[in-house]
Amino acid sequence: MSEITQEKMDQIAQMWNARGKGLITHMALKIEEVSTEAVQVRMPFNPDFCVDSDQTLLHGGILTALLDSVFGLANFVAIEGVSTMATLDLRVDYLRPARSRADVIVRAHCYRKTRHIAFNSGSIWFDNHVDDEIARGTASFALTRGKTSLFEAMTRGKP
Amino acid sequence: MDLQAVNMNVFRVPFFRFLNFDILEVGKFHAKAEMAFDSRHIGNPIMEHYHGGIIASFMEATAAIAVQPDFADVPAKPINLTVDYLRPGVKGPLTAQATVTRKGSRIASVRVLSWQASPEKSVAEGLYHFLLV
Repeated sequence: MSEITQEKMDQIAQMWNARGKGLITHMALKIEEVSTEAVQVRMPFNPDFCVDSDQTLLHGGILTALLDSVFGLANFVAIEGVSTMATLDLRVDYLRPARSRADVIVRAHCYRKTRHIAFNSGSIWFDNHVDDEIARGTASFALTRGKTSLFEAMTRGKP
Repeated sequence: MDLQAVNMNVFRVPFFRFLNFDILEVGKFHAKAEMAFDSRHIGNPIMEHYHGGIIASFMEATAAIAVQPDFADVPAKPINLTVDYLRPGVKGPLTAQATVTRKGSRIASVRVLSWQASPEKSVAEGLYHFLLV
C-alpha cells in the first residue's frame, strides 16, 4: 500500500477538525486508515440514526451518507490539485438489515480518476463482522481543478 | 390515511426526527414532504449546503412513506437506491415528492424528486426499491 505524505495527513486531520458543524461532526467519524489505495473510517453507534423504538436498527440513509462522506475523503487523498468536488450520482445496495449497536466501519477507494471525474466504491460492515457486509455503494464525483485547493477552501478563515 | 396520523407515525422514528420533516400530502401512490434546514444537515461547511447523504436519506424516508404510510413497527424495508445530484441543496427548506411507479406483492419501485425554489429545478432525483415482505 503506497504511503501518503505527512503533510497530506496533517491537512486531513486539520480539515476534519476544522469542521465545527454539519453531519460529519454529528456522525463523530474517526479515521482509522488513510492511503492513496483506500481509506477506512469508524462511526460510533448513535441512537439518533435508528428507525425502531428499541434503537438497534440503523436507517439506510445514514449508511448512504457515510459512503458519500468517505468517498469524498478517498478522493481528497487520492487526487492532487482538486479545488471543488460534487457528488454526481450515487448507488447503494442494502445487503442486510443494519441491526446492531456496534460501531460501523466504512472502507472506500477511488478506483479511477480523470481530469473531470472520480469513480468510487465502498463497503460497510459492523465492527468485527467484516464478512457480513451490510451495504455496498458506488459513486461518481465531478471535479474542478484550479489554483485554490480544496484544502485551502475548507480551512479558509480558520485561526 | 389522514395526514395527522401519518405525521404521528413519522415522529415515532428516531432518524426521521433527526431529519426533521413533515408529510404535507399522502395519497394511494404518492407522498410529499418538507424538511427544515438544520446545521446538522450540512455537508459543505463553507457554503453551508446540505450533505448529499441527508438529501438521499430524506428522499428515502419520503419514498418509504409513499409505499407504506401506515407502517407498524419500522418504515418499509429499502433494497437499494440510485440518486442523481443535479444542483446544490442550499440553506433553507427542501421538498420531496415520491411517486410509486410500481407496487407488486413483494417489491415496490419509487421515483423521488427533491427541490427548493421550484419543482422544475430539481436538487436531486432518485429511484428507490423496497421489499414489502
